[in-house]
Amino acid sequence: MSGTVRPPEIRSFDLGAFVTAAAFTPKGAAGFALGSGALVVADAKGELFSTEVNEGGALLSLAADPAGEAFLTGDDSGKVVRIHAGGGGETVEIVKGKWIEHLVAHAGRKAFAFAAGKEAVAIDAKGRRALGPHPSTIAGLAFSPDGSRLAAAHYGGATVWVHDQPASAPRKLAWKGSHVAIAYAPTAKFLATATQENAIHVWRLANSRDMQMQGYVAKPKWLAWNMDGQSLTSSATEAVTVWSFQGDGPEGKPPLEFGPREGALMSAVVAHPRQALFLAGWDDGAITLADPKIKRAGMVHRGHGKISALAFDATGDRALYGTEGGEAGLITLPGLNR
Amino acid sequence: MSQIPVTVLTGFLGAGKTTLLNRILTENHGKKYAVIVNEFGEMGIDGDLVVDADEEIFEMNNGCICCTVRGDLIRIIGGLMKRKDKLDGMIIETTGLADPAPVAQTFFTDQEVRERTKLDAVVTVVDAYHFLDRVQESREAEEQVAFADVILVNKTDLVDEARLKQVEARIRQINPYARTLRSKKSEVALDAVLDRGAFDLKRILDIQPAFLETDHDDHGHGHDHHHHDHDHDHHHHHHDEPKLDPNRHEGGIESISFVTEKPVDVQAFQKWMSGILQSKGADILRSKGILSVAGADKRYVFQGVHMLMDGDIGQPWKPGEKRISKLVFIGRNLDAAELKRGFDSCAT
Repeated sequence: MSGTVRPPEIRSFDLGAFVTAAAFTPKGAAGFALGSGALVVADAKGELFSTEVNEGGALLSLAADPAGEAFLTGDDSGKVVRIHAGGGGETVEIVKGKWIEHLVAHAGRKAFAFAAGKEAVAIDAKGRRALGPHPSTIAGLAFSPDGSRLAAAHYGGATVWVHDQPASAPRKLAWKGSHVAIAYAPTAKFLATATQENAIHVWRLANSRDMQMQGYVAKPKWLAWNMDGQSLTSSATEAVTVWSFQGDGPEGKPPLEFGPREGALMSAVVAHPRQALFLAGWDDGAITLADPKIKRAGMVHRGHGKISALAFDATGDRALYGTEGGEAGLITLPGLNR
Repeated sequence: MSQIPVTVLTGFLGAGKTTLLNRILTENHGKKYAVIVNEFGEMGIDGDLVVDADEEIFEMNNGCICCTVRGDLIRIIGGLMKRKDKLDGMIIETTGLADPAPVAQTFFTDQEVRERTKLDAVVTVVDAYHFLDRVQESREAEEQVAFADVILVNKTDLVDEARLKQVEARIRQINPYARTLRSKKSEVALDAVLDRGAFDLKRILDIQPAFLETDHDDHGHGHDHHHHDHDHDHHHHHHDEPKLDPNRHEGGIESISFVTEKPVDVQAFQKWMSGILQSKGADILRSKGILSVAGADKRYVFQGVHMLMDGDIGQPWKPGEKRISKLVFIGRNLDAAELKRGFDSCAT
């Protein structure tokens, strides 16, 4: 954090409902998905526009549309809806009776995927493909770094699909128990899941050898690999806890722990896209910027309510946050990339 | 954050669960309930917030073999809490053949679920006409009664008083601690089934066999009869003998209770109890206790479901109140003598 001279700039607003997810479009429009069913978009000038997407229900997932300046939302009425950053939108899919809790996009491949019950659906320029069924309702989805694979977390492990070849047999990574989140290392060498038993499971994809990190106070549902895939951190900790995947990996070595916060639990974390930094949100509303190199975490903002949404833009200059209580905001981190 | 009470509704297909659910949802109470039903449910539910669940039972990968949770409930509860409209309660309907344990265990083990909701009571609806046959042939029917805090003996108009008494006697044999109510078409006062606080350690004052409370009220007024805090001689066992049902049968569910007037060493008790639940938890469906701890002004109260247990400091003893420790197990293959020895060894 040697570059941080000026304090971060925060512009916060009250959105009045649980912020379930946040995302930036490629050109930098900010979107907040809400438990009220609305999507709030903050444009480049900072003006807010609200669109009622799922009246009477909640938006559960959000991603930037890989095809343009738009957002894709998933909701608890089974809809996937595209909302254009400049206004207007259309329903992309309706899967009756299912909740669309997981929706991910890959800009390079111009692909997106969502989970509907036990099936994953991948959509790109070539078409729409249903993948599955998986052994249980899907609890996490992630594209591989190059976008060619789609990994799903579920009961009993994870399944990795070559998503444009749905007929080919998927790769199955087995580990007992329920897996509730999933994240690919940017090197594509590792795949991490969070489990119901408050642990992180990591598969080394070259040989499927796996490892387990235990002892978390809650389910580490937010998994964040840093930009070079050398370290992994997660939520559900009382201090920033980072596992090193350099050299032989973390087996037999303790994690790096720093930046503890008295009486608070980390509730969300994202990795900076260009530097080895993590932005951590806590259940008391605080947001800290953690630098594993110097083992320090600096306070970015003290908000109200548990941090429930966090996202960086592509440069890492700006970030979004949202809380369960409806506070949301735009964070500008000056000097970081200079 | 205030926790939302959750009622678990069990009972065999056709017993009257859906009728009860619709009564709860349509009654003019001004409250907002979410109802989680299973996708193979009997028929339509009239509420505006009805969620289909798909009964995903997950084994916990934590070395505890019988510890299973309902993965779908964890997901659904998490999702419902994101909505803008705040809920006054949730009702989870289980399938007729469901084991209630994974549902209850979800509320003991999942941290997010515990933060946001609290298990209020397990309500079991039994069909007075079919119950005696069902319980004979079905392990699930017996377990649903064993797990219950409130049992609705429904369809009383289809049987005579003698048969009803047999049904109630059989229920008491399995679980004498549940409150038993009679109804015709699931007509029951809502406060008899909702907001019971049966798992609320702060609200539990006493553990009493419920047969004196049996509400012989066919008209659904459901006056609350649980005012048995005052002395009834026949509830005070001035001896340390375990109470065992004389009609126990092999492999069937029964209940055992122990009382002692000696103060209990809470650390010794916790150690003994966790050992018992570790080794016998698969057979112990529910356990409850109120302990008088040496030197403490407040009760120590605990509740267990199979191997999982929650204990806390409860309500204070009143001045002059007789401090009696009570322990109840409902389960199979219970070794009364061994349990009594263990409990006695915790007394100081």
